[in-house]
Amino acid sequence: MKSSRTLGLVMIAPAAIMIVLFFLMPVVLTAVFSMTSMTTATGISGGVYQIAPNSLIALKSAIPDIAAEMAEPRYTIDEAGLKAVEGLGLAPGIAGELRAKHAGEVFTARRDVERMLKELADRPSTRDVKQISEQFNRSVLNTRFDSKEQLFSALDSLGFKLTPEQKETVAKVTYTGWVWTTDNFSRMTTSPDMARVLLNTVLYVALVLMLFNVGYALLLAIWTHYMPPTPASIFRGIWLLPRITPVVIYVMLWKWLAWDTGFISILMGKFGYPPKNYLLDNAYNAWFFVVLINGFIGASMGMLVFSSAMKAIPKSQFYASEVDGASRWQQIRYIILPQMRWPILFVTCYQTLSLLASFNEILLATNGGPGNATEVWALSAYHTALRNYAGNLEYGLGAAMALVLVVIGVTLSLLYLRVFNYGTLVAKPLIED
Amino acid sequence: MTILPTLKSLAVAAAILASTSAIALAKDVHISVWAGGTGPNDVYRLDAIEIAAQQLQREAALKGEDLKITVEKKPYSAWEDFKQALTLAAEAKTAPNIVVSGHEDIAPWSQAGLIVPIEDYVDLDSWPLSDIYENLLQIASYNGTVYGIPQDAESRPMFFWKPYMKAIGYSDADLDALPQSVQDGKYTMKNLLEDAKKMQDKGLVQPGYGFYPRTSNGPDYWQFYTSFGGTMEEGGKLVFDKAAMTRTYQFFADAVKSGVTKKNHIGMPGDQWWKEVATGKAGIWDGGTWHYARLVNQEGLKDFFGNVIFTLIPAGEGGKANTLTHPLVYLLTAGHDQEDTEIAAQLVKIASEPRINALHAVKSAHLGISKSESTVEFYSADRWTREATERLLPHANAMPNNSDFGKYWNIMWKNLEASWTGAKTVDAAVSDAESELKSTLGDKIVIR
Repeated sequence: MKSSRTLGLVMIAPAAIMIVLFFLMPVVLTAVFSMTSMTTATGISGGVYQIAPNSLIALKSAIPDIAAEMAEPRYTIDEAGLKAVEGLGLAPGIAGELRAKHAGEVFTARRDVERMLKELADRPSTRDVKQISEQFNRSVLNTRFDSKEQLFSALDSLGFKLTPEQKETVAKVTYTGWVWTTDNFSRMTTSPDMARVLLNTVLYVALVLMLFNVGYALLLAIWTHYMPPTPASIFRGIWLLPRITPVVIYVMLWKWLAWDTGFISILMGKFGYPPKNYLLDNAYNAWFFVVLINGFIGASMGMLVFSSAMKAIPKSQFYASEVDGASRWQQIRYIILPQMRWPILFVTCYQTLSLLASFNEILLATNGGPGNATEVWALSAYHTALRNYAGNLEYGLGAAMALVLVVIGVTLSLLYLRVFNYGTLVAKPLIED
Repeated sequence: MTILPTLKSLAVAAAILASTSAIALAKDVHISVWAGGTGPNDVYRLDAIEIAAQQLQREAALKGEDLKITVEKKPYSAWEDFKQALTLAAEAKTAPNIVVSGHEDIAPWSQAGLIVPIEDYVDLDSWPLSDIYENLLQIASYNGTVYGIPQDAESRPMFFWKPYMKAIGYSDADLDALPQSVQDGKYTMKNLLEDAKKMQDKGLVQPGYGFYPRTSNGPDYWQFYTSFGGTMEEGGKLVFDKAAMTRTYQFFADAVKSGVTKKNHIGMPGDQWWKEVATGKAGIWDGGTWHYARLVNQEGLKDFFGNVIFTLIPAGEGGKANTLTHPLVYLLTAGHDQEDTEIAAQLVKIASEPRINALHAVKSAHLGISKSESTVEFYSADRWTREATERLLPHANAMPNNSDFGKYWNIMWKNLEASWTGAKTVDAAVSDAESELKSTLGDKIVIR
């Protein structure tokens, strides 16, 4: 018994590892990222400490005197620097000439000291000039320090007298990486645009789900149910086309239909209407097409599930009802629909989750336009975290938005499990008792 | 007798040493270059590096080094894809050696440590870098450090379809004087909308085609903000000027309201827009100097100067006529072997030589980067580059290099689009932008 359990654990191990790696980890990482201020500017792998002119702006209000001093770049030709130059293994005349002609000089800009170096008799190469000038750098400006300790020791060695609190302030202001924060969530709750996006998402899921993924799918299943088998199969096959067509081509076809130069415009042109971009003409049009584009894809799955469920209804029930003189409507009303309860619930649940997370068709068709009218939550998270013109990718905020979707998805899944009464589904069959 | 084996072994050792030193001298370097926003006219962004590689190999040969440089080129036509790919590649430590991107990326990328300052590798005092326009080098700098070398300069003029301007009453002399009167602030944004309306009322262009601006997000829209008196950055801090932004949003809302611009203009297919402006379907539009190359080379507009006149972006209320230069810059990415980065820097330097850069300027209708480039006959003989340089470049602003500018830009654009399409009123859009900027950037932006 015990060994079979161990064996079971071993057998399941690959699947368990897969689940942890590909299902659990992304969610955990999304949750972790959502609590950070990560953007393109902060990087992902962590930051450094850099006293740069832009960070000094903030420091000026906290410790003005010291900030002003830090802002001063200084290149001093001192003995320590000259010794260091001697150690570089360059032409010996360089250090000698520097000591003789320039000892004690102070330069405020790197380019000035480098210009002086280029005047030396043994003119060093560009690379050497950079190396030499660095030996005389007596400023912390623009140097990148990997750790706080390095920053503090550099400040100490340059004679900055800072209290521990002031040091911490300097470290905080000059840190270039991301920090832990809950700002993403407060930004989400306060932004009027986010509320709009959420509303769009609810509208999108509800419309596509009710009109197509369930409603139209059921209609198609019923239609084909009453058709002779061959035309029914052909009809179902045609309805599968949007599902199996590559999404880019499928959306391109819709665009050809609805653009200024597209089919509708040409057709309406025959009746004297000027061409216009029907797809992006206004928010209503955009929604109309977004719902159609997604609906035609989604309807096929519901149709297949419903058709097979209808096939499972014993034919005898239909024959009996025909004998009793039932109309088609009565058959639908009293035989089909009551027995379709579970398939309908299943399709509703499954498609809600799919629609919540899907955005590729909208991205290709309207890219969330016009004026963000069709920007749904998942698309907005993608735009925020991974793709925008300005190139400032806000990973943290995007992750926080994605996390909201995860939470909604998990909550809904749990709710559905309860509705489907998962317990009874996996219970031992009574027949074996 | 015993000396012979010693000699032999010494000879063998010397031979081995000689062969290894020969191997050490033969250096095979692989340099990869990625360029964003690169269409068929912009190939010299990448090819210039290849030309430079040949030059550097020859220079190395003269110094007795056997240097072989292979350049791997990767153009990206769109910006979104390019910036996403580059950022993620750099984070994964697989970035190319050289990147050609907009100067505004310098701030976030340098802060994140994705790029290294080019001034650490090249001598800015030597030619051709010493000859590059000082303001362009400024634009390629951040925190007082030169991070990139300008790859091109450009500006974003306003274009007018000449025959329609004549049809609504402008004489040839008026049209010749138009650039100057825009520059002097006599011809304003108000006049522009009026003229666009006149063109439509006369039936010269269809409704919505009077003023036909850029169809997607881009730096162009900051020119309108400047035109209405807005400032992007002051003293290192970003600035959101509510009144100027209101006037900017209002301008587009008014254009839509009066019917000279389409409500659904944003997001329309780019190819369609190009075809329409090249064939005189639109009356007035804005675009970049490089549009000249596309209109003439790809869209079949043969008599450009006969059909089109270009000016600065006219002044709006509270502002001045302006244009924006958005130089692309050559940047060096971090995380590579020092010697490779050094070679990459040398290639950038050579690629910036006037005659090589002129190939890009003339082919793509961008503007030159250095003073001597305008003395290259190949460049100065080209009417477009000559006129555009003279008329536009002296009035060009640039977007700020600020690591938070991207966030500001996203918020500005989102609300401009919303007020344009009527999804929000202008006041609501400005106040939404304000509250989002406050919560996003806090005291890093001055709101006034």
